Amino acid sequence: MQIYLPIAEISINIFVLLAMGGGVGFLSGMFGVGGGFLMTPLLMFVGVPPAVAVATEANQITAASVSGAVAHGRRGGIDYKMGAVLIAGGAVGSYFGSMLFTVLKATGQVDLMISLAYVVFLGSIGGMMFVESVRAILRNRRGEKPRPGRRQRTWVDALPFKMRFRASKMYVSVLMPLAIGGLVGVLAAIMGVGGGFIMVPAMIYLLNMPINVVIGTSLFQITFVTASVTFLHSVNTQTVDVVLALILLIGAVIGAQIGARVGLKLKGEQLRILLALLVLVVCAKMAYDLAVKPDELYSVFPVEVVH
Amino acid sequence: MTRFHSLILLIVGVACITVAGPERALAERMVADLSDHTIEITSQFSGTELLIFGAIERAIPQGDGGHGVAIEGMDYDVIVVVQSERHDMVIRRKGMAGPIWVNKNARTVKDIPGYYALTSTRPLEHILPEPILKGYQLGLDRLNVSFEQELSEREGEAYRAGFVRNMKAKDLYIEQEGLISLLDEILFRAVLHFPANMPVGDYKVDIYLARGGEILLHEKAPLEVGKTGLERVIYNFAHSHPAYYGIVAILVALFAGWFSGFVSRKMSV
Repeated sequence: MQIYLPIAEISINIFVLLAMGGGVGFLSGMFGVGGGFLMTPLLMFVGVPPAVAVATEANQITAASVSGAVAHGRRGGIDYKMGAVLIAGGAVGSYFGSMLFTVLKATGQVDLMISLAYVVFLGSIGGMMFVESVRAILRNRRGEKPRPGRRQRTWVDALPFKMRFRASKMYVSVLMPLAIGGLVGVLAAIMGVGGGFIMVPAMIYLLNMPINVVIGTSLFQITFVTASVTFLHSVNTQTVDVVLALILLIGAVIGAQIGARVGLKLKGEQLRILLALLVLVVCAKMAYDLAVKPDELYSVFPVEVVH
Repeated sequence: MTRFHSLILLIVGVACITVAGPERALAERMVADLSDHTIEITSQFSGTELLIFGAIERAIPQGDGGHGVAIEGMDYDVIVVVQSERHDMVIRRKGMAGPIWVNKNARTVKDIPGYYALTSTRPLEHILPEPILKGYQLGLDRLNVSFEQELSEREGEAYRAGFVRNMKAKDLYIEQEGLISLLDEILFRAVLHFPANMPVGDYKVDIYLARGGEILLHEKAPLEVGKTGLERVIYNFAHSHPAYYGIVAILVALFAGWFSGFVSRKMSV
């Protein structure tokens, strides 16, 4: 059954979209990741214009993270003060990301920027995850245990403008969470990702936040920042396709349920290697598409109407 | 179908009753119409079809004082052209930048229709000589593509060809030679396809009657294309009230997300 997507302006089989939502939802349920960094390239592969893929995915992530954020909030798993600082950074980041996006769209370079950003981020993150999980498996084989140890004082502790975060039992400079939030905001605006895959490690390793508030706080931030991205892209480039976002969400909800159950039966390191390989495959495909000579060198666009 | 036939009969009837002026006594007459003068692209997704039909009143050779039987004059041809309003469009060309392909150059095409469909009884070259085809811009190869920027002839040709390939791939430029059926050399009908992504606005329909390498008659018909259905409402809303659209998109996402979370909790219990 074909469905016409009003903003993407393409006609596509609804079951293909549901399957994509389900597939990515399955993976995100299994691996516990957001899935935006898989869904956006996938949408581009099936012919959704890259700019629409990014903006719509931001909208879908708002939907995908809100119920998780609410659930964590009920359990006291959100450091609201830290969340607010991260959101403030994210708002600024998403604003500049969206500006960049708008300028590049008008000059015809937005597709290139999206692809390049994906190749760089997927390549480095997939590579790091792969190396890290191989190491972890080797350590397990040798029977070594990771040393917990006291956390070291780092350059992060030397930054000024310190603030007390009671829920996280921390006293740190606001500059670091602002910067992390800002980076995530930029990525959300130009890549259509929630940014959890950057924010969660940054909160754990750079801020030394307690694990029990990390996921909730990051979901809390993602909900607000992707909402901000949705709004900015709607206003600046009219690229948010609500119909597409809803169809993907339906697929993702079902897929995530199944994925979470399968995920429980697999070992952590194996999962991470699988995810790393998947990320690297998507990265390789995008790099290949950039490097191979396209079938059609010419493309036609309506003249951009300035709103 | 019966409705269509009776309509044709009516048209032919009207055509016959109408008295032609004395100087046009020997000339052909043509009556043509469209199945719809407004097309609403609904959520049928596959686009829509338009029927263009009409009747030709033949000029019978009058050598024997008007009582002769038509021997010649059985070689009429009909050409139908439908095109949308003309706007400027941007063509981008990819080139190598280091190891990757990027959009390098952009050219603006001036005043070009976003939709152009041509259909005819036979291949155009068999109907009319090249200068006339050129003069009326009949056929995709003869469509006037002019650029805002100065381009060398070779470059212009390449951009032009790239543009037409793109539009054809989107089903927005269509050339179907030989697909008009001419019944008894009197009734003709042509069916044109409109894709779901067709531009909206006022269209121009030109119907040409040709014989012996000349255009005998040129009829025009108006056509208006609008899109309806939920898809169109969403598109218009997104473009006319982008800020409200953004807020609604967020609210829809928040509600759908909350609701789906609620459903999955019920499912997993």
